[in-house]
Amino acid sequence: MGIARSVGITLEHTMPAVNEEAAFVGELRAGSEDAFAYLLTVYQNPVFNLVWHIVENSADASDVLQDVFVKVFKGIKGFNGDSSLRTWIYRIAVHEASNHRRSWIRRHWREPFSVDDNESPSAAAASEAVSSERSPYQVLEQAEREVVVKRALASLAPPYRTVVVLREIEGLPYEEIAQVLGLAEGTVKSRLLRGRELLRRKLAGYVGKEHV
Amino acid sequence: MWARNMFETCLEIRHHFSDYMDDLCAPEARKSIRYHLSFCEVCLQQLDQWQMVREELRALPRRQVPPELALRMRVRVSQRVHEKLFSRLWVRFENALKPLLIPATGGVLSALICFCLFMGSRVVPVSDDPDVSVQWATPASVQELAPMDFNTDDNAVVVLTQINAEGRAKGYQVLSGQGSPELMQRLDRMVYFSIFRPATMFGRPTEGQVVLSLRRITVRG
Repeated sequence: MGIARSVGITLEHTMPAVNEEAAFVGELRAGSEDAFAYLLTVYQNPVFNLVWHIVENSADASDVLQDVFVKVFKGIKGFNGDSSLRTWIYRIAVHEASNHRRSWIRRHWREPFSVDDNESPSAAAASEAVSSERSPYQVLEQAEREVVVKRALASLAPPYRTVVVLREIEGLPYEEIAQVLGLAEGTVKSRLLRGRELLRRKLAGYVGKEHV
Repeated sequence: MWARNMFETCLEIRHHFSDYMDDLCAPEARKSIRYHLSFCEVCLQQLDQWQMVREELRALPRRQVPPELALRMRVRVSQRVHEKLFSRLWVRFENALKPLLIPATGGVLSALICFCLFMGSRVVPVSDDPDVSVQWATPASVQELAPMDFNTDDNAVVVLTQINAEGRAKGYQVLSGQGSPELMQRLDRMVYFSIFRPATMFGRPTEGQVVLSLRRITVRG
């Protein structure tokens, strides 16, 4: 029976690295298509991940992602370099995703919806089981844990969730989170504390099961 | 001692767990939390849970942009970059030409290779003699004139000589001057024993004509 196994990676494409952000921003301002292609390559996945955690839906995340980069393209001439390019892009992404979520809730507040984004853990696990070294049981268990963690994260109020995602998933420092959200650093700390505590309570029965 | 007593209650300690995990606590606060954790099992368990929640969050698979969305965004960016009419037309022109670029280049190269192969078999042989001109056409000329003496008046004798491809005279015709039998006899000898450079066409020797103007040299003495 042929089992698909991952045996390596393939290099899709390469491009020169950008070391100097100011020069790169200059190229973006000049309307260089290559610079925008580089920008998309570097930032599209992190921004998509961030947006997805805020809007909780792949289709909506795709729409928001496009809007974000259109705004980046339109607004790059107004980017004055007060913050890093990443901070600026994340700020636009959080703003767009929050607006999208608010308008979505206004439109669909009567309709039931699932935070699982139609993703079946067993289907995801099955596709991974054939391509990993772990046993099907371990893969399924991991998939179920992911669903539980995602649910818990999605159940947090947006202010807490956004801070937790930026800190724990995107790994941004407090100062940058404060810049992205336009908040004081103290507010970021208190939201993070509250968000972490809420998550701990929600996941108390799941986390560290194997460690107990 | 002060660090140990910095926090009075578990609740107070737990308010600092977030900073403690991110390594943002002041050294005194850190020492105090460590001291508290050394004897408080409940707080230690909660801190473990905080850290496990963090690990679970960091272990979440990262969402990747679907390839078709990535392509769509690149197209949108490209459209935005080329919003101006001329720029848009230029991109369309380039896009129309690009599919033809490889076949056209291949065609030109193939034609060039065929041409070179064909012409290689019909290439004009070029002499090793560097004096041979390879220009379009060169006239015949005298390489070495045979010695001759003729007894005639001071008028020049002009002879039109036909030279073959080997550089030898095929015949001649006196254009001006005395055409006495004696002169003709001497001219016969001179023309046939002289060596000529043949005319060339594209570097290849061919038949030609050369006009010889002969005049008697008289030395007084």
